[in-house]
Amino acid sequence: MSELSLGKKQSEGIAALIIRRFFKHRLAGIAIAVLTVLVIGSASAFLSRYNPTDQEPTNSFQRSNAEHWFGTDELGRDIFTRILYGGRVSLTVGLLSTFLSIALGVVVGALSGYFGGWTDSILMRITDAFLTFPTIFVLILLGAFLREQQVPWLKNSVLIVIIIIAALSWMWPARLVRGLFLVLREREFVSATRALGGSDARIIIRHILPNCIGPILVSGTLQMASAIITESGLSYLGFGVQPPTPTWGSILATAQNQVFRAPWIAFYPGLMIFITVMAINYIGDGLRDAFDPYVIHTEM
Amino acid sequence: MKHKLLPLLVLLSLVLGACGGGGPTATESPDTSPTAETEPAASVEGGGIVTLILPEEPTTLNYFLADAAIVRQAAEATSMTGLAAINEKGEFVAMLAHELPTLDNGGLSADYLTVTWKLREGLKWSDGEPLTSDDIRFTIEVLSNPNSGAVSGTGGFDLITNIETPDDLTVVLTYSQPYPGYLDQFAYGLLPRHATGAAEDMTSWEWNRQPVGAGPFIVSNWVSGESISMTKNPNYFEAGKPYLDGLVFRIVPEPAAQTAMMMNGEAQFHLWPGEFKEDYDKLLAGKATQHLIPGIWNMAIDFNLSAPFDGDPAAATPHPILGDIRVRQAIASAINYGSLQQDVLKGSVGDSTNPFAYGWYQCDLPRKFGYDVEKANQLLDEAGWVMGDDGIRVAKGAMYAPDGTRLSLELQGYTAFDPLQLTEEFIVENLKAVGIEARIQNYDFSIIFGTYEDNSPRMVGDFDMLIFDRGFTTEPQGYVADAYSSTSIPTAENPTGGNYFRWVNPEVDSALETAGSSFDQQARKDAYCKVGQAVIDDLPQVYLYLFQDNYGVADNLTGYNLSTWGSMTWDAQNWKYK
Amino acid sequence: MRTYALRRILQTIPIIFIISILLFLMVRAAPGGPLTAARRNPNVTKEQLERLEEKLGLNDPLPVQYGRWMSDMFSGNMGESIKFHRPVSEMISERIPNTLILVGASFLLTLILAIPIGVLSARKPYSFFDYTVTTVTFIGQSIPVYWLGLGLIVVFYVTLKNPATGDPLFPVGGMNTYGKEGDLLDTLWHLVLPVTALSLGWVAWYSRFLRSSMLDILHEDYIRTAHAKGLHAWAVHYKHALSNAMLPLITLIALDLPSLFAGALFVETIFSWPGMGRLFWDAAKGRDYPVLLSVVMVTAVLIIVCNILADLAYGWLNPQVKYE
Repeated sequence: MSELSLGKKQSEGIAALIIRRFFKHRLAGIAIAVLTVLVIGSASAFLSRYNPTDQEPTNSFQRSNAEHWFGTDELGRDIFTRILYGGRVSLTVGLLSTFLSIALGVVVGALSGYFGGWTDSILMRITDAFLTFPTIFVLILLGAFLREQQVPWLKNSVLIVIIIIAALSWMWPARLVRGLFLVLREREFVSATRALGGSDARIIIRHILPNCIGPILVSGTLQMASAIITESGLSYLGFGVQPPTPTWGSILATAQNQVFRAPWIAFYPGLMIFITVMAINYIGDGLRDAFDPYVIHTEM
Repeated sequence: MKHKLLPLLVLLSLVLGACGGGGPTATESPDTSPTAETEPAASVEGGGIVTLILPEEPTTLNYFLADAAIVRQAAEATSMTGLAAINEKGEFVAMLAHELPTLDNGGLSADYLTVTWKLREGLKWSDGEPLTSDDIRFTIEVLSNPNSGAVSGTGGFDLITNIETPDDLTVVLTYSQPYPGYLDQFAYGLLPRHATGAAEDMTSWEWNRQPVGAGPFIVSNWVSGESISMTKNPNYFEAGKPYLDGLVFRIVPEPAAQTAMMMNGEAQFHLWPGEFKEDYDKLLAGKATQHLIPGIWNMAIDFNLSAPFDGDPAAATPHPILGDIRVRQAIASAINYGSLQQDVLKGSVGDSTNPFAYGWYQCDLPRKFGYDVEKANQLLDEAGWVMGDDGIRVAKGAMYAPDGTRLSLELQGYTAFDPLQLTEEFIVENLKAVGIEARIQNYDFSIIFGTYEDNSPRMVGDFDMLIFDRGFTTEPQGYVADAYSSTSIPTAENPTGGNYFRWVNPEVDSALETAGSSFDQQARKDAYCKVGQAVIDDLPQVYLYLFQDNYGVADNLTGYNLSTWGSMTWDAQNWKYK
Repeated sequence: MRTYALRRILQTIPIIFIISILLFLMVRAAPGGPLTAARRNPNVTKEQLERLEEKLGLNDPLPVQYGRWMSDMFSGNMGESIKFHRPVSEMISERIPNTLILVGASFLLTLILAIPIGVLSARKPYSFFDYTVTTVTFIGQSIPVYWLGLGLIVVFYVTLKNPATGDPLFPVGGMNTYGKEGDLLDTLWHLVLPVTALSLGWVAWYSRFLRSSMLDILHEDYIRTAHAKGLHAWAVHYKHALSNAMLPLITLIALDLPSLFAGALFVETIFSWPGMGRLFWDAAKGRDYPVLLSVVMVTAVLIIVCNILADLAYGWLNPQVKYE
């Protein structure tokens, strides 16, 4: 019998074990705390006494002070507040594009790995094609293409950035899931279920997929880290989320011309990207350890 | 297996290295070094090599093929010396011509149909060949050829019906109709017959990257994507000039890197620095100074006077909100122009109230609706827009909008241009203060300035407010008539029209006709100022500011004179270094 | 093996087709065109614009234009740049070496640093060294490359000076100092900062990867056998574990190439490096279709070739792989 068919009590036991192992990775625990603070900070951005678009042009380029913790930008807006609001967008872009790309990747990978044959061939050719795209070039082209379609709901440029990042990153989870499915579909619990008359959909969703959760989560963290960096990179080039919506990347982009005049405008959003990506990487590291059967042996 | 792996890696790196080992593939010039007889004099006082920073690479050094301002920045140092030039005061001066043809000296006939140019004596191209009237003929032949592929500076050449060259120094041109731009058309350089090719092949001439010109410098090396080097032209027509031994244009896209190069003295001329003057001068104190001179790019918000998104690009149905002039007046009154120019853009722009903000046609007209929040609120109240709960007004008895309509407008601009974005964000706050919601919607440059067929919003009339900058040359008639005449509203029948506001004003139409048919500059200017006043009264658009061209120049570079009408190198022959 | 190589190459044909169609659609179905800048230029007359539009053949239906483009590409003709009026093949061949120098040098530095770091941290996982290295590599991986690039300029070009001469520590502009074109040492000197910016994240990524695949292998039976046979631990690590751990690394590197080129776009922009990334960037801004499409296609084909090479190398290094 597979680990999946274990009783409810036992799977709770596994979950607890995984969580315990995860927090054994001390830095991963710290990373969770840091990320929680960032999320709470962004979510409660409205508590700031400034509004992200409130301007005071006569009070521009202020250094950090008691009034403005991170100083002010060229329009005299409070950078701290803008970073909180920007965090919402940056984290949302990271999270949603990761969900989208994982969802798409899992579907493609599962179909490909489970059914094999021509389904696999076609899907893998398409995946390979996407993998050979020069990423940044295609991101820019796709972004320009989508932004200029006459579709009202696409005018929301945040959505466009989410879509294009997902469109160029689903191949990684797809390959991963396909690989896992290739192995798992040969296991006896799958053939047993099939013999008992389980439908393909049921086998895929109820039996094989849950066994892939660990690796998918780990790859999800990698995706999210790179999505946040990609978003900021696109903004830096002027192809990302458009003003007036602040994101860490777009704040950084407007700071380009002020590197010498007001380096802090570039410093703080860069620092936030850095801290967030770092935290996500550590969480990924913790997850890897938590799901990795070898870890128990290597612990010293 | 290790023994297999390491060699493989080494091999791979070697392959990568070897592919790149060729070094930069420079387009070496065949032989542009001065010949023995014209050996350059030993470096004189004020000589040396000056490095100039360009943010992007010029696509060509042939001005007539250029679609963007960047080309001229480099080309003007080498291939754009023509019969005349426009100096920093906006006046024409003779360059290769002995003198400017005018009515007084008989160069321009009384019926304005015949123009006689006389060249200076002993002129030579940069390769030492004589420059004669036949080269003028050739230039006209090329630029009037519809298949030449020329983009810029072709205006008026198709009006020249006859060219006579009685001798090597004289050319007599006959026009089919009086052409006011007869001087301007010869201010962008001449093309040498012997060093170019057939007119139809102009786009593929080698000359475009290795021009043989009459300018002060000659291209010696062009490293694609990196730099263009020039050496002094020993055959330059002004004796003793240029003073410099050479110019190096370096292509540096990153603004911080540009400024850093100026800080380290690695460059002396910085095109369009990203820093504001105040900051730049502080940062580079003792090394370089930023200079601002009025440019030609005039920033305005265009209002759509006709209903958007109704499938009808024409002016038939008025815009539900902006169709009421009081709303436009309120918007004009809500904008804090002074703060925008001085605080937001740190004085990097000048004031501008109407389309004619510089040049001989400059009209100094005061704003009718300056910054006045109270006035704006009052106008909106009168126009039937009452304040809603969320601080945005809603219609209650407005002229065209049904009751309950929110006073919410889209503000379209283009992406990746910092000053524009700052302006947008500032104006959004200004308008919010009087209860108007403006939603920024920026498109790629090529959408905002796209064609009717591409459904560019400004062409098909699907916009509320559009913010962008326009520019005129010394001869503005074509552009002005296109933008303001009621006959040039873009529609399916007239897909290239430029009257994006869908503005119909008969007085403007007649003023435009006067300006287009007169040869009297004062009369033309008066006509243009009529148009300018109508813009201020009717508010099809509201002018925000005039961009200034900014240049960072090293303190040890002297002799330069910056001009609205020229690029940074327009007078490079006069520069002295150290 | 030869049939495998052949099959592998044949397999790429549909991939190239898919890519070309997607790219063409993305580039050409987007509104806007190469004449935008001209349309905005007050010195350009309308008649001239209409003539140019006709000349460029931009009014033909898209499938016709796609067919023309593909048949041109197959006959090796990449067309002429709309902006530069130069053969695209010439423009690309000027830039490819520069990008390869940058990417190649970064790749080399990455491997030189990542392999020892990965091995050492796998030797004693969860040791102080491992934690330190993990932290440092995560830092490297978490810094956006353009942010790092700007930081490097500020520190090594502006702030720090050579105490002897007062000159900047490292140059930032382009590939060569003026007058030293073709000087290899000078180019290497100019490579220092760009390569640092480009490599840091990759060192992190590969050393992490190597560490975890080494850990996997160290728990496999034959390594334990080797231990049991009394082989010196050092030898075990290197001889067996490393060579096996390198195999998946090769695949990974091949898959990562597109991202390496992406990073190069930022680095080329910040350090004025005249490579393919900037050629693309300028073409994208100006909608120079022939250049744009060719640059992306050439980069994609370059990546495909590297992928095939990686696959073949994998098979060559690992005799266990059987090509059916």
